Amino acid sequence: MSKVSSLAEAMSAVKDGTHLALTGFSITRSAVAAAAEIVRAGRRGLTLTQVTGSLDTDLLVGSGCVDRLIYSGGSLDRFGSLYSVNRAISAGMPTEEYSTLSLTLRVLAGSLGLPFLPTRALIGSQLLDHLVPVGGAKMIIDPFTGTPVLAVSAIRPDVAIVHANVCDEDGNASVSGPLWSIKETALASATVIVTAERVVPRHGVDPSMVIIPGTVVSAVAEVPGGGHPTAVYGAYDYDADELTAYAAASKAGGDTFGRFVADRFLAGMVTR
Amino acid sequence: MSADWTPGEMMAVAAASLLREEDIALVGLGLPQIAALLAQRTTTPGIQLLLEIGVFMPHPVEPAVGIADPRMWRDPWSFGGVLDVLGAMLHGGRVTLGMLGTLQIDPSGSLNTTMVSAQDGSVRRFNGSGGGNDIASLAGRVFVVMRHDSRKFRPAVEFLTSPGRMLNGRPRAEYGLSGGGTTAIITDRAILTITDAGAVLASVHPGQTPESVIGSTPMPLIMPDGGPDETAAPTATQQRLLRTELDPKGWYLS
Repeated sequence: MSKVSSLAEAMSAVKDGTHLALTGFSITRSAVAAAAEIVRAGRRGLTLTQVTGSLDTDLLVGSGCVDRLIYSGGSLDRFGSLYSVNRAISAGMPTEEYSTLSLTLRVLAGSLGLPFLPTRALIGSQLLDHLVPVGGAKMIIDPFTGTPVLAVSAIRPDVAIVHANVCDEDGNASVSGPLWSIKETALASATVIVTAERVVPRHGVDPSMVIIPGTVVSAVAEVPGGGHPTAVYGAYDYDADELTAYAAASKAGGDTFGRFVADRFLAGMVTR
Repeated sequence: MSADWTPGEMMAVAAASLLREEDIALVGLGLPQIAALLAQRTTTPGIQLLLEIGVFMPHPVEPAVGIADPRMWRDPWSFGGVLDVLGAMLHGGRVTLGMLGTLQIDPSGSLNTTMVSAQDGSVRRFNGSGGGNDIASLAGRVFVVMRHDSRKFRPAVEFLTSPGRMLNGRPRAEYGLSGGGTTAIITDRAILTITDAGAVLASVHPGQTPESVIGSTPMPLIMPDGGPDETAAPTATQQRLLRTELDPKGWYLS
């Protein structure tokens, strides 16, 4: 059976309180249309995991959808910081902040069904002071050598969203360019939703190019421009003017940001 | 100071001069990225650059706004993911050099990229770790590129995002860290090397004296035998590359 659906239908898997995982990176391949749909649907109380914070996460946090954030920092590159995220953290939003590798290992452990993975990242960092009490990381002794090593616990989000270049109707998704933690994040999650620049018929994606196997994908929505204004390698560049405007609105926050989101992201959704 | 080059240009040139032809390097956003590309185009064309986002050996020709800018990934050898670059290459021990920026640094080269407090007690948050902690924890040696701002040098950083050469005054290996930690700080005034004994004033930039560097550095500096070297000034070729190709808009070097 085809997994192709509308964006709104696909995103119905995200409910109030869902542990959502996003796979954008700063100003590239953010699931902006999907995030906007979550805002439009008025979802609240999300736990959000994203290895490297990007615009989609800032959009959801700034729109009040997120109660808890798990990430490794992030930015809008030279366009600015994740202002809404930083403001929410300063205001007390529960946040776990890792390094890129240690959080990637958490989702890898989740994907493999392992309780934890060991690493030498994060050791000695004050970031650990906040992660140990919440069960994200713990120093252990390597049982083979007796030397200290850090264990990072598995993480298993409920729903992951990947914005792909091409996806077939069975959910086999191709992502062009660098892959950061996209695959591990998706495979760690119970449900994967793919938004794609282009949806093609069964067997329409070269199997060698499939990054996310359709086996783990539950819904596919064709959303051309779904990453705009961030860059989608192989499809389009970032939109510098829009990113500049976004950064200014996120920095301003409050009603300014709310109006910006309604105008730039939500208004277009009705006709999409 | 001579007006022939900007502080950023001097930092990029000085940092580039420390890279080695055989380095496999992971570099952060901004001046580290510019310095590595300058080295790739001039003194150490064999250097192998990696980007944490999952790029092996990019050859960018246009200025990029950061590592998430596809301009930065141009003409790579290959693409991969975090597990390839920060995992197999860095955690696996193949990355010989990391180069990072920072908000604050302590005498052992520990870094704060998370937050700083204002005088009124308010806290300003920045971009956090990203791959910075991974690089500082695991790379063979780490260069820190930063403005020579006395507020950046701290007896102890406000938030220890990434460990330096020592932790709590003890060798970092005792804690389970595998890389060498910070080995050099490159500023717009000098090159400082980090040793077990402390920070050494290895080289002063043209227009600076050992006294002017010491006077602007609120932490003890060890004088090497025979005194510090003088860093080579930017050449015309380096300046042309920096100004016309690597950072024509002056995003990082002005």
